[in-house]
Amino acid sequence: MKKKSLLSLLLATCMTAGLLAGCGNSEAPAEEAPAAETPAEESGDAEAEAPAAESSSGEAVTLTVLAGQSTTDAGIEDMIDEALAAKYPEVTLEWECVDWGNDFQPKMQQYMQSGLPDIMIGKAQDVATYAPQGILGEIDASYLDKGLDAARENVTIDGKTYGLVYNALYQGVYYNKTMFAENGWEVPKTQEDLQAIIDDCNAKGITPFASHMVDTWSIGNVTMQFMMNDVFNNDPTWGDKFRAGEVSFSEDEAAQTAYTYNKLIFDNTYPETFSTEQTDCDAKMVLGEAAMKVSGSWSIQNFLDIDESFDFGIFPFPNQTGDSKLIFEPNITIMTSAATEHQDAVNKVLDVLTSDKELAVEILDYTKTASMLKDVTPTFTNPSQADIDAYAADGMIVDVTLGNNQLVWGGFQEENAKDIAAWLQGDESFEDCLKASDGRVDASSAN
Amino acid sequence: MNEKKKISYMEKKMSRQYFLMVLPGFIIFTIGLIVPLVLAVRYSFTSWDGMSAEKPFVAFQNYVDLIKDPEFRNAWWFTLRFTIWNTIIQNVVALLFAVALDSGIKAQKVYRTVLFVPCLISALVVGFVWLKMFSNVLPALNDVLGTNINFLLFGEKRTVLRGLLIANNWQWIGYWMLIYLAGLQSVPGDLHEAAKVDGAGPVSRFINVTLPMLAPAITICVVGITTGSLKVYDLLVSSTKGGPGRASTSVIYQTYTTAINGRQYGYGCAMSVTLVLVLLMVAMVQVKGLKKKEVQV
Repeated sequence: MKKKSLLSLLLATCMTAGLLAGCGNSEAPAEEAPAAETPAEESGDAEAEAPAAESSSGEAVTLTVLAGQSTTDAGIEDMIDEALAAKYPEVTLEWECVDWGNDFQPKMQQYMQSGLPDIMIGKAQDVATYAPQGILGEIDASYLDKGLDAARENVTIDGKTYGLVYNALYQGVYYNKTMFAENGWEVPKTQEDLQAIIDDCNAKGITPFASHMVDTWSIGNVTMQFMMNDVFNNDPTWGDKFRAGEVSFSEDEAAQTAYTYNKLIFDNTYPETFSTEQTDCDAKMVLGEAAMKVSGSWSIQNFLDIDESFDFGIFPFPNQTGDSKLIFEPNITIMTSAATEHQDAVNKVLDVLTSDKELAVEILDYTKTASMLKDVTPTFTNPSQADIDAYAADGMIVDVTLGNNQLVWGGFQEENAKDIAAWLQGDESFEDCLKASDGRVDASSAN
Repeated sequence: MNEKKKISYMEKKMSRQYFLMVLPGFIIFTIGLIVPLVLAVRYSFTSWDGMSAEKPFVAFQNYVDLIKDPEFRNAWWFTLRFTIWNTIIQNVVALLFAVALDSGIKAQKVYRTVLFVPCLISALVVGFVWLKMFSNVLPALNDVLGTNINFLLFGEKRTVLRGLLIANNWQWIGYWMLIYLAGLQSVPGDLHEAAKVDGAGPVSRFINVTLPMLAPAITICVVGITTGSLKVYDLLVSSTKGGPGRASTSVIYQTYTTAINGRQYGYGCAMSVTLVLVLLMVAMVQVKGLKKKEVQV
């Protein structure tokens, strides 16, 4: 009997200990982090370029990083680890990489209850969501100065900058240059121009648009592109007015027009769009099965992976007034925790990210994106770069963060996209779709 | 007197042992289930966004809003249809497979393994596999066979439920089949012999002997499939993402997107509380109803 008691007591102790261990803090103390073997001296003149960071000698520190990644970003963590180990071997990053669209916000909500990671990587629009909560740390000017000035505006709140924008995406209509040349199509500037190309495509049996509407996010994304050029172009505070009750989707013709462009695409794409994923869609575009695709730089990686000689360009989706601008989106944005206990180590990471140009080029070439750092230019061949440069020279580029900050993605744009999908499929009337967007007014702002 | 004392001492000792054995489970259950449930009920009376420190009390407003919310009603409508069809199809087909395997066919173990393997795969993978099947693999068959069958089941509101039922049943039928098979193999052979002697045919024996003896297995399967289907989420994430539109948005999916992506934590908690209540009610009714039909040998 005694043996049985002892056994049960032992079992209970083991299970309770296991439970307590599971509930305990798993954060590795700084001292436990293994020091990398690479000597700091190998990184050359790095220390001279890092005014706010301490020298590479110091206590070993492990920083936690929550990285909300786009499809193109997966893999850059290894590049950053390698560059960091070369310059600051005492700093190790413990990465948690999640999908930005689906999992970044849930993770942030979770960490806001239990304590934020030292570094968070998201998008520029996340700054507007989280900075007002007082949880983000201000980024030191010595690092911000290494970035382009244009990158700061939308990550600065009340004069304080909480995000370091690292790269940028461009969004618009990607077009098959060869197909355009063969058919004598010019880049369209107005809706009439675009309609003429669509008509010619249909007459010749060419699918005008490649699309992947099974991914509801793609509907939400293109809708914001349309909203930028038809709504925010004319009224930069439309989102604020929407919340103030001065404008609404049900009454605003421009907003309705932006929604109806989705129908134009749906009516001029292949019938299996609601069963087609992005990779298949991009493949169709590259294989010449469609002439155009409303998308963003994230498609370039697929385009060039499928066929590195694929020749494509980009133009803004034409609006009603014929003055559409190419959409620019600050993408990878580094934010830091206001409560981090390792600010020096965090600064070392910021130093590597902003001063290691080789690393920057490697990341930009991999993600096929544009640089937001001064004097850093990616080396990959981007067939659409000439178009981007031309629009930039004419001042025909607009930052989508303006729209995304006023009408947030999670809970608003994302949900509206579902109604648009239901409307396109005939399961919901257009009026109900607009009303549903209006009904979500309380969820349209991050704060 | 001594005997009584000894028994009382033994009882106390046993009670202490039982308590010790139950304690870890009780702690885990309390921390993992009871506390979050109580917190969810508490938050359901607030308009908390899940981020800010303030949790404004709104009494029953979230529950009132739920009744008026067409998206929540749609989510329930989809979930109920998914559950009812799943419960019928999985029980009937799993039982038929079990009977077939119990009939002494050759290579029984091979069939059993083949049917069971899909349930070892994550529902996320199953969703992705069937998305590819419906959008790439099966349509390619049309080209090969020269047919024009619509395999794009996830692409339309009227067919998406069908597609999801195929994926879900493909995954789980083998699992429930094993439970039925175990039940069938535990039916005493002499009962069948006695029924045979009394002149009962195979169908009559199945209805009057096998089915009543299978009642405990039926209880397990019906309750398991129903509650599992009411909680469907991961299959949807990787296949339809709740679409097209909201055509395949389940209650859990709606709760998650509302609470987390939509930053309406209080409202989302109200949704989850209603789901828990429904799950409890369904399980209780089913267990009570089906237990009555169970027979003991």
